[in-house]
Amino acid sequence: MDVTLLIVLLCVALAVVLIVVFLVFGRGEANFTFDIGGAAPRASGGSDSSTEKTASSRLVGLAVAVGAAFTVLVGRLWSMQLVSSEEYAEQAESNRRSTIYTQAPRGRILDRNGIELVTNRSSLTLVAEGGVVDDAVEVQLIANLVGMPAQAVRRKLQDTTEGYQSPRTVSVDVSRRVVAFVGEHPDVFPGVSIQQRTQRSYPYGSLAAHVIGYVGTVTEDQLKEGEGAEDGSVTYRSGDVVGQAGVERAYERALAGERGEQVVFVDAAGDVLGYSTSIEPESGSDVELTIDVPLQDAVEKSLASVVKSQRDQGNDCVGGSAVVLDCTNGEVLAMASYPTFSPNVFVGGISQSDWSALSDEKANQPLMNRAISGQYASGSVIKPLTSFAALDNGIATPESSWVCNGWWSWSGKSTDDTIMKCHLETGHGGMNLREGIVYSCDVVFYEIGKGFFYSDNPEGMQQTFREYGMGSVTGIDIGGEEAGRVPDAAWKESYYTDLGYSAEDSAWKGGDNCNIAIGQGDILSTCLQMALTYCSIANRGPAYRPHVLRGIRSKMGDGFVSEYKPEKILDIEEDPAYRELVESGMSGVIYEEAASQASHWTNLSVPVAGKTGTAEQAATNRNACWFGCYAPADDPKYVVFSNVDGGSWGSSSAMYVCRDALGAIYGEPDTSSEESSVGD
Amino acid sequence: MPDLSMIGGAASVPKGSAHARRGRVGGGRGPLEKLYLMQLIPALLVVLIGILTIYSASLSIPEASFRSHLVGVALGIVVAIAVWRYDVRALSNMTTALFVLACVLMVLPRVPGLGVEVNGMMGWVKLGPLRFQPSEPSKIVVIFLMASACAQYNGKIETFRDYAKLCGTLLVPLLLIMSLDLGTGLVIFFIGAVVIIVSGAPRTWVLATIALIVGVAALVVITSMIDGLPHILKEYQLKRLIVFVDPSVDPTGDGYNLQQAMIAVGSGGLFGKGFGNATQALTGFVPEAQTDFVFSLFAEQFGFVGSLVLLGLYAWMILSTVLLAMRTEGFFSRLVLVGCVAMWTFQVLENVGMCLSIMPITGIPLPFVSYGSSSMVVQLVSVGIVQSVWRHRQKSA
Repeated sequence: MDVTLLIVLLCVALAVVLIVVFLVFGRGEANFTFDIGGAAPRASGGSDSSTEKTASSRLVGLAVAVGAAFTVLVGRLWSMQLVSSEEYAEQAESNRRSTIYTQAPRGRILDRNGIELVTNRSSLTLVAEGGVVDDAVEVQLIANLVGMPAQAVRRKLQDTTEGYQSPRTVSVDVSRRVVAFVGEHPDVFPGVSIQQRTQRSYPYGSLAAHVIGYVGTVTEDQLKEGEGAEDGSVTYRSGDVVGQAGVERAYERALAGERGEQVVFVDAAGDVLGYSTSIEPESGSDVELTIDVPLQDAVEKSLASVVKSQRDQGNDCVGGSAVVLDCTNGEVLAMASYPTFSPNVFVGGISQSDWSALSDEKANQPLMNRAISGQYASGSVIKPLTSFAALDNGIATPESSWVCNGWWSWSGKSTDDTIMKCHLETGHGGMNLREGIVYSCDVVFYEIGKGFFYSDNPEGMQQTFREYGMGSVTGIDIGGEEAGRVPDAAWKESYYTDLGYSAEDSAWKGGDNCNIAIGQGDILSTCLQMALTYCSIANRGPAYRPHVLRGIRSKMGDGFVSEYKPEKILDIEEDPAYRELVESGMSGVIYEEAASQASHWTNLSVPVAGKTGTAEQAATNRNACWFGCYAPADDPKYVVFSNVDGGSWGSSSAMYVCRDALGAIYGEPDTSSEESSVGD
Repeated sequence: MPDLSMIGGAASVPKGSAHARRGRVGGGRGPLEKLYLMQLIPALLVVLIGILTIYSASLSIPEASFRSHLVGVALGIVVAIAVWRYDVRALSNMTTALFVLACVLMVLPRVPGLGVEVNGMMGWVKLGPLRFQPSEPSKIVVIFLMASACAQYNGKIETFRDYAKLCGTLLVPLLLIMSLDLGTGLVIFFIGAVVIIVSGAPRTWVLATIALIVGVAALVVITSMIDGLPHILKEYQLKRLIVFVDPSVDPTGDGYNLQQAMIAVGSGGLFGKGFGNATQALTGFVPEAQTDFVFSLFAEQFGFVGSLVLLGLYAWMILSTVLLAMRTEGFFSRLVLVGCVAMWTFQVLENVGMCLSIMPITGIPLPFVSYGSSSMVVQLVSVGIVQSVWRHRQKSA
């Protein structure tokens, strides 16, 4: 408010007053009678007459002023009540109406067999009207009854996130005893009632928790997002319970349903005076996943036991992940991440202690879905891709051969300061490319890396890796996926220059080629990404986008209202001879590399092809242990991939998880107890 | 209605008073001749409208007791009848006494032990079981005071000394009330100013005075707005002025109240929402819907048509009083009528205008309608005064 405006206004008022007064008084002294009745002017006594005239005309002036005042009032009323009346009426309507929302029951989440992974259970909830907070005695009684501090009860009563007119949720899942007590003493608890509500329920506990995700109260960001959303998408209201991760979030629109609305008439204090129209809530649709509960269960158990045994062996093993894909269509049959969590802790709002337990550093990020968010150096599981790259670019032929002495250097001399070791320090001896895959001989791949460095297409390896989908997200239908990283000269220069390294240190070197050839160095990938590359190998070209949704079930009848259609995202051509070499090499990994390793696979009736991998991670000083395979090797259906962060070797950790997964699929559990610890 | 029959009964009491029938107004026969119906009828109709409005308010506003409103009306009618029978011209020579009385009334609320606070409002006095606002009767006292002071000059104030004396007479009680109750202060100022002007003060002096007042007012407002200078206006008063200029400035306090009151009036539309259907004024959105913002309560229920009827009745009542003043010979009686006209006009203009956002917010009751016995009694007494002037119009004082 600025002073000048007010001064201007006052001046205007002054001017108006002066003009009006001049007009009124001017008449008084004008030389004509403006007499409507009153005493007649007398002939004599000029002074008397003038007095009478003055008084009389001033009374007329008074009448005119009164008339003017009323004219102004009527004019303004006309403008407000006739001209702008609708505008005001709208404002009055919006003042008196308020809407109480009821959440629709969320749809269930089912596995591919129709088994309920997530469902709803009814929950007895103690609610109270907001006004109860003013009654200190009642608040204390409620606190005693539900076993909460009075201060906490008060805070709940003051919480208007569910809407001012809605009753306040004091305690969810109250016991029958509480229900009975409130029912028997309505006089002690005015304004308190028990409501039957639905809560998320997880019959299988933490099973597939990372796929399912969890629900929680809508966040500020989600509210803002909803405001700008186009028609048809879910718009949130403060206090809504919405999917916060995994399928719960990804398929929120299908699961959420439509909230019910009850329009009420309220007074200025927000108290309900009466009820108007209402819309019943419409429950959400059931979502059917590609996940297979028995398989998921087997994979999770295997992963947990592998991590545990790695820890028992003294390894700093922090977690792991595994995926089982149907490579013929991209369906995710199982996806596990360890450590895991129970989505149940999020129901009705996560408690502070549960949250700190989940976010504690020692808990190793249980909420992270390592299968899609955990990025690790891929290690030797990349070697089939490196082989394709070498063959395609003519760096190697099926006939090429090398000699492994257990170490390698750029010049071949042992005095060279570029010495790199093979995982088998005693050396593999003479090796061709197939044997290089079978025995995972690093020297073979160092040579390939060196070959690329001097070739016409020095980034041919990276091209191939990217072609197979590395360095970009697979586009799986749940959130949180990381893209991994395929390093090249341009990336290295910008990355390391930004970190403050010299131009010399930021330049791409031959050693970098050797590193990425064996999946070390700056290369990063997720378990799902690697699984996708193996899908393409297994399918001899095509690979489908991984997905966890099978379809959204129709509310009436059995069918789906919408079904996930397989989407081919890779289709890579390779020379059939090269394919044969790589496939044969991967089969050799299973059955030839080591007897102890093969013992775990020979007891499976279907042929399998795969690859082990162990990458040293300089940043964490832990080994990223990998295993990936497809089966049946002659007519691939399943691609199974696993990694363990902090194990000893891929073959002694991740491989067991993959074997157990295939064991669950074919009903042929691993009976071998031989310790498989083939290096890499 | 009981009040009508009471008037009728009282009117029949004095018999045989000799007077000639005169005039083109009134002109009833028998006891009715002692009543100036031209003014009485609209006044009583407005009282009826007030009763109806307060009844609707009493349905949902706990502070508005319909019974106590009726008690106020009844009490007012009784006092009004007494005033009607009394020849107010007896007061024409009591300037000094009236002046003292006016000052005493203004000071009463400040006397320790007497002054009390009601609903956070200063300006109340507690005398035994009786609780009232002396500022209300002081309006009547000021009407008589200024009329008696001005009547001495027989319609022509010729010396500046006289003019200054009259202004001084008004200024003392005015200053006493202003700091306690700005609203009543404005009413009293308006009454005094109109009476002085009509009693024949020269144009130039009046204009000079008005210019002076506007200048002083502007100065007061401006110093109140600038830090470091004396703040004569209280903060809420300043805020109301600001809100008047721009209601969006303060959407939770006065600005909010004003906007809600305007929504109430505007949403009434042509015919209103119907009796008892004020979704704005009766559900707490409009504050003080039974007193300060009572017009919004009325206008929301009865719409433009109802408002037109109410304002028409006020205009009828006021203009008929002006007409009576023109035909009244005694200067004192005439000026008393002018004082009543000034009081009603200003209160109606201010109270209604405030709900329409053409006047700043002040706590001035709507005559005959607003809830509150002090105001109701005083307004009915003013009707009694008009009737007394009519009744005693032939006798010389």
